[in-house]
Amino acid sequence: MKPHVNIVVLVDAVGALSDGTLHNGNLSLVDDGAFESRGQGTVDLCTIVVPGQVVQWTAIAVDVQTTAEISAITFLPPGGAAPERAPAWEGQSGGHENLDLKVWEGIVPAHLTRGVPYHYRLEVQMHEGSHSVLHLDSPALMCA
Amino acid sequence: MAQQQGIIVLVDIANALQARTLTGNVYLFDNMAFLGSTGQGTADLVTICPGTYWADGSQATEQVLNWLPASLGSIPPTVPRSYHADRAQATDQEALEEIAGVADRAGDPSVDTAAELEGLRRRVGARARRPRGGRAPAIGKVLDVTGNVVTGEGQAYNHPNPVITDITGQAVDEKVMYPAQYGSPDMVSDGWYWAASVDTARPGTYRYTMHIQLHELVWRNDEPAWEPVDLTCESAIKVISDPKRNAFTGAGLGMLPMP
Repeated sequence: MKPHVNIVVLVDAVGALSDGTLHNGNLSLVDDGAFESRGQGTVDLCTIVVPGQVVQWTAIAVDVQTTAEISAITFLPPGGAAPERAPAWEGQSGGHENLDLKVWEGIVPAHLTRGVPYHYRLEVQMHEGSHSVLHLDSPALMCA
Repeated sequence: MAQQQGIIVLVDIANALQARTLTGNVYLFDNMAFLGSTGQGTADLVTICPGTYWADGSQATEQVLNWLPASLGSIPPTVPRSYHADRAQATDQEALEEIAGVADRAGDPSVDTAAELEGLRRRVGARARRPRGGRAPAIGKVLDVTGNVVTGEGQAYNHPNPVITDITGQAVDEKVMYPAQYGSPDMVSDGWYWAASVDTARPGTYRYTMHIQLHELVWRNDEPAWEPVDLTCESAIKVISDPKRNAFTGAGLGMLPMP
């Protein structure tokens, strides 16, 4: 078993901001897990993991002159509705938040039910402003 | 942030040539205002270079800067690269057609052929010479900003874009940034541009000097020539460095917050 699973979040920031969505091919998720993850290259990636593995998410912008950073990853209640809160850009008054400082990395806990996808909300921020944050609820982690 | 930063160097060429200085005639912009660049649109731009380091102290990010010179009141850089050559060719073509007309009328004693040819000669436009060994632009005829040929001295003409010829100064001397000129298929920069990678492991504000060459149209013996005028302007980078931290816990590695 690989101790580390990397999930790459590939973002076409110009496309996503123009469309106002991360769908329509504007975002692609790929992982390097050892098991048969489903939906590689799509927004419906279901990464197969085992407890104790470290999962790390990294955002990459297709165009090197644009910014695309993960601003939040929130796990959704299994089978339940997504949280009401709409993702929003939290404009910093005075200061500037450098999202590049954040490392999206964590250990898969032991209490997960096997075979059940745990969906998460992935929020991506592109540059800044009130329309800069877009999100997806479709990707998931699932215990083998 | 794995992002390349663009720094636009906008020059008011006509005023800079008149004053023989870039002071007050240059406007700088970059795309990192949201991370703390200051002085956008002025000559006092301080470009932020956000650096990050891992928990063990090693450098996590490197920044890349790209300088793109632009000029006020010039033919836009988005027109096709063959624009100058196309316009020059078009005026030559028109002149040839009119010469044929003059030739047809040559037999008519009421037509002043010499005056017509003189008028044609003026309408063909002026072809400026390039200085020897200079970095003068490879353009033929002198055009005004609307794309029409310039025929005589004293007419309004379009300056070629400014050319960055070197980047020096404190930031380079102290080896905080490593500038070099690169070739590019990018039409905006006309094939060449200056870029630098920045060592973000050494926070601080460092000044640097851009050496910019402008071109002035000089008439000698009724012949125009582009003469290079070398000027400099200053700017600065501000390198900051912050630690990377786990986004879920705010500190070190922990369990994923899964329900």
